[in-house]
Amino acid sequence: MSESRETLPAHRAWMTVAQKVGTPIASVILAIGIGSVIMWASGYDPVAAFAALFKGSFGGPKQIGDTLLRSTPLILTGLSVAYGFRAGLFNIGAEGQLFMGGLVVAWLGVALTGLPWVVMVPLLVVAAMLAGAAWAFVPAILKARIGAHEVITTMMFTYIGRYIVSWLVVGPLKAPGQIPQTDALPIGSQLPRIQTLFSEATLEALPFLKLGRAHLGIVVAVIAALVVWFILKYTTLGYENRAVGFNPWASETGGISVQWTTVKALCISGALAGLAGAVEVMGVHHRIFDQFSSGFGFTGIAVALLAKNHPLGVIPAAILFGALSAGAGTMQLEAHVPQKIILIIQALVIFLVAAEEIVTWFIKRRQKEALSHVG
Amino acid sequence: MNRKWRSIIAVLLALTLLVAFVPGCAKDEPADEPTTDETVTEEPKTDIKAAMVTDVGGLGDKSFNDLAYAGLQKAEQELGVEIQVLESKEITDYESNIDQLATAGYNPIFAVGFLMTDTVVKLASVYPDTNFGGVDEEFYDGIPGNVVSLLFNEHEGSYLAGVVAGLATKESFDSKLNSDNVIGFVGGMDVPLIKKFEAGFIAGAKSVNPDVKVISLYTGNFTDQAKGKELGYSLIEQKADVIFAAAGACGTGTLVACQEKGALFIGVDADQYITIPGSGDVMLTSMMKRVDAAVFGAIKSMVDGSFKGGTAQYFGLAEDGVGLAPYHDFETKVPQSIKDAVDKARQDIITGTIKVPETP
Repeated sequence: MSESRETLPAHRAWMTVAQKVGTPIASVILAIGIGSVIMWASGYDPVAAFAALFKGSFGGPKQIGDTLLRSTPLILTGLSVAYGFRAGLFNIGAEGQLFMGGLVVAWLGVALTGLPWVVMVPLLVVAAMLAGAAWAFVPAILKARIGAHEVITTMMFTYIGRYIVSWLVVGPLKAPGQIPQTDALPIGSQLPRIQTLFSEATLEALPFLKLGRAHLGIVVAVIAALVVWFILKYTTLGYENRAVGFNPWASETGGISVQWTTVKALCISGALAGLAGAVEVMGVHHRIFDQFSSGFGFTGIAVALLAKNHPLGVIPAAILFGALSAGAGTMQLEAHVPQKIILIIQALVIFLVAAEEIVTWFIKRRQKEALSHVG
Repeated sequence: MNRKWRSIIAVLLALTLLVAFVPGCAKDEPADEPTTDETVTEEPKTDIKAAMVTDVGGLGDKSFNDLAYAGLQKAEQELGVEIQVLESKEITDYESNIDQLATAGYNPIFAVGFLMTDTVVKLASVYPDTNFGGVDEEFYDGIPGNVVSLLFNEHEGSYLAGVVAGLATKESFDSKLNSDNVIGFVGGMDVPLIKKFEAGFIAGAKSVNPDVKVISLYTGNFTDQAKGKELGYSLIEQKADVIFAAAGACGTGTLVACQEKGALFIGVDADQYITIPGSGDVMLTSMMKRVDAAVFGAIKSMVDGSFKGGTAQYFGLAEDGVGLAPYHDFETKVPQSIKDAVDKARQDIITGTIKVPETP
């Protein structure tokens, strides 16, 4: 009796962790299962398809690099959305903030010359975060002062931001040539590819470092995740953020300014999205153009959902989406499965995470059954 | 083990199958073969493996990417080459898709669309033994030795579309034509390539109808059909009765606007009377851009060993690389005077009597 009483809390704690991690994993596995059935029903070989998908996303250092490349912006937009969610805010406009961050980097990175890399890169990163925060500031003020819903306002700001970029790249900031894009960033403003940081000899000795297109942005993204996790867990800022998200009325009564916390939360969320735009421009394209983001801000919502808004959970969630994207080419090439199947699997993951209640219900049911067996 | 759970799974499966059927219907249906149905003779098998990478529009765009794929399919049937297509979902896919195809030994590889120009330059040096075909890609800093640049004189074909539109708006062979002497142009991205369509269209229209008013609007991309429809409405409100759309998939939206509000439509790239079923009531003609012929020609040159890397090939009216599609349902309605004017303009452009401008 006494023994079970002592072990119960530990057991409970373990169960909650398992539940937190378990439901997203169960959703992903279920999505893959349903995806397989769909593939099989459409006349494709699901085993070959997933084998090819895995080979194309984790089959070697180059493939892993490609997965990391695609995960990098998703980690940051996932963090952006998750941080907002934790304050009870749905920043659906991360895409627009991302465009603003990218734009500022593409402009300043070319305009400011002569600064050394160690000064330039942090400067650009900070500028992009400020730009993202600024783009979220007006919706934040509108939300705090007059209660205008952030879903509407941040979305509208996304349109404004996207069209500003569209206009600038065909107009004032257009580089010479046929393609509407800005000038390329000089080397001194770029985030280098990871494999270029090592000498030929090191790469020969440690071939796993040949990460292809993966760039230093992944390091930036992981650091950002750690910082956000630290802020949420250990600082007053994070505590207020969570408190307002949990119960704004109680927080107000408890002496937290809900308005001010809302403004801070949306601006930090915007800053993280702006950072995503910065790493894409500095690490991948080295310039900005109309379609430089394939909806990373929106995929970030799915990443945050899958991660259950946990800043560290965002990393594996983003890697999953990055891997699906990276492996799609190999899947088309080797298993002849159309790329659209990948979109179906992504949609299924989102659908199942959203319909997570069902899975939770199933797990609870199992627990009850298990308990009743014990009983 | 328990019924409730099972029924939930069943409902989920049913739901997802429902979801699956929607894209299933649009599943990369091989583009309709726009070429003539020649009898396929057993050609000697070659060991050439040809591949293409679509731009983000993907297969099923009823124009550009589908046409390039049709060229590949023709090569498969007639030349016995092995073919492969990789669709791109995002810009990041361009490099990895081309890279994978080159690693897998595909040669030649076609990169469809000007957005891939930089990527082709980069990978052409990584894979010097692979030949590349850049559709619509103009290489300002010199064409790499293993790349052939496939370009079209869109302004020449658009001039003919302009002649048709400029004359038709004065006529009354269809109830949708009004007497306001206004025609419209819907462009995709505001780039020099699309400006060539606009310039040719305006020049052609003005050549036969100097007083015609041509209104040009741009959607800003090649994918947003809603935007294409919106601009179609806007043009029709401004009294346009013939609209030419050079805007990729956006044009489908403009077509719907024409059907709803009553205007005639001129399609682009493919013969869109065939690629967009049910469009016959407004589809006057299409300005065809024979991407399929260009791609097929480049593969053929690989097979017979005459591939000329480092050069640009231009496909104009003289090469049958651009031109007007049949009038189809309007064949009997369109007066002979318009058909004669088009024929004359075509001859004059080929002989060089008319120089069509490339910028409006």
